[in-house]
Amino acid sequence: MRAYSADLYRFAYWLCRDRHAAEDLVQEACLRGWKSWGDLREPAQAKAWLMTIVRNEYARNLSRKRSDPSLDDVDESQLPFAPSSEGGLEAAQLVAMLPLTYREPLLLQAIGGFSCAEIAGMLGTSEGAVMTRLTRARQALRQQYTEAVKRRTVG
Amino acid sequence: MNCLEFRREKLADPRRLSSEARSHADGCPTCAAFGREVDESEQALERALQTPVPEGLAERIIFQSRRPRRAWRAWALAAGLLVALAVGFVLGTSRQPANADVYARLAIEHVAMEPESLTSVIGADAQAFQAAVQTFGGDVRELPGKIRYIRLCPVEDGYGWHVVFETPQGLATLILVPGKRLPRLETASAGGWNALARPVRGGYYAIITKSRDATSEFERMLRDCIVWNA
Repeated sequence: MRAYSADLYRFAYWLCRDRHAAEDLVQEACLRGWKSWGDLREPAQAKAWLMTIVRNEYARNLSRKRSDPSLDDVDESQLPFAPSSEGGLEAAQLVAMLPLTYREPLLLQAIGGFSCAEIAGMLGTSEGAVMTRLTRARQALRQQYTEAVKRRTVG
Repeated sequence: MNCLEFRREKLADPRRLSSEARSHADGCPTCAAFGREVDESEQALERALQTPVPEGLAERIIFQSRRPRRAWRAWALAAGLLVALAVGFVLGTSRQPANADVYARLAIEHVAMEPESLTSVIGADAQAFQAAVQTFGGDVRELPGKIRYIRLCPVEDGYGWHVVFETPQGLATLILVPGKRLPRLETASAGGWNALARPVRGGYYAIITKSRDATSEFERMLRDCIVWNA
């Protein structure tokens, strides 16, 4: 767990955007992982397994609070919306503005280094659906990033 | 593979291109340029996601996993109840309704929970600030200080811009929250911080500094520098 704690924390942080909640999530997930370590059949899959537990823990917290849309309630066709006035904001802020359905696979890939097939397994969806979400997420980020660079060049 | 398929594959997983996709990019200057652009924005993304990990996190995880959880939870619950009682007592004795000046208090809490905003210089972009103010129907004539930090943060009712200025009176934090209308001006002091939250067209702003005088002075500067059209 020590080897994965940084990636687990960063994944949790970018899901909930709160340092304290992120640490709680990781603590809780690791505790669950620790208890059911015997269920892990392939040690090579430990990182994916722990990240899935973090994700599930976050989903559990969300459904308890009911303050955010649940992981499955977000409309697939809903593209990330960022007004052009926010073009100057950093990539980090743009990531935070992505709907969870796009943010989640993006974080698993950019932080966890997982492939589309692996992410599909972790999210319980098809590889095609993951590819679509990642493509849309990066299109939105890229558009905003390009606008920000242009603005800086002009300015 | 055609250009459309290449783009889809590149955007879905920039680091794992198939041999077909790589061959396509080798023979297609447009897709090769597209690939480079994606790689560049991917690097920016990865840098952005490298948020600092709390010191000693791994040790705390291991320590917690070896502690009897139930007992810890019971003590935490008891401690929480005691704190709640103490806070209730303090609030009660100060004869202040629990919901009074809640947004000014939340602003103080926001700054206290994000101490790095006062020690780091991030995204100090005047254009981003101008754009944020414009969403309120405001117009920036000049900056009320040197911007050190600007971030879009989650706040009580959605998102807000968290901006830190360097001023002659010290650091001043301005939080712009669009879409939430406050019925009146709110003020609060807690933990060595002073704050006000003022409704403006399009939402409200909160100013947080170390003293009432510094808060008033920063608001005076803000009024000189920004036309809120309210």
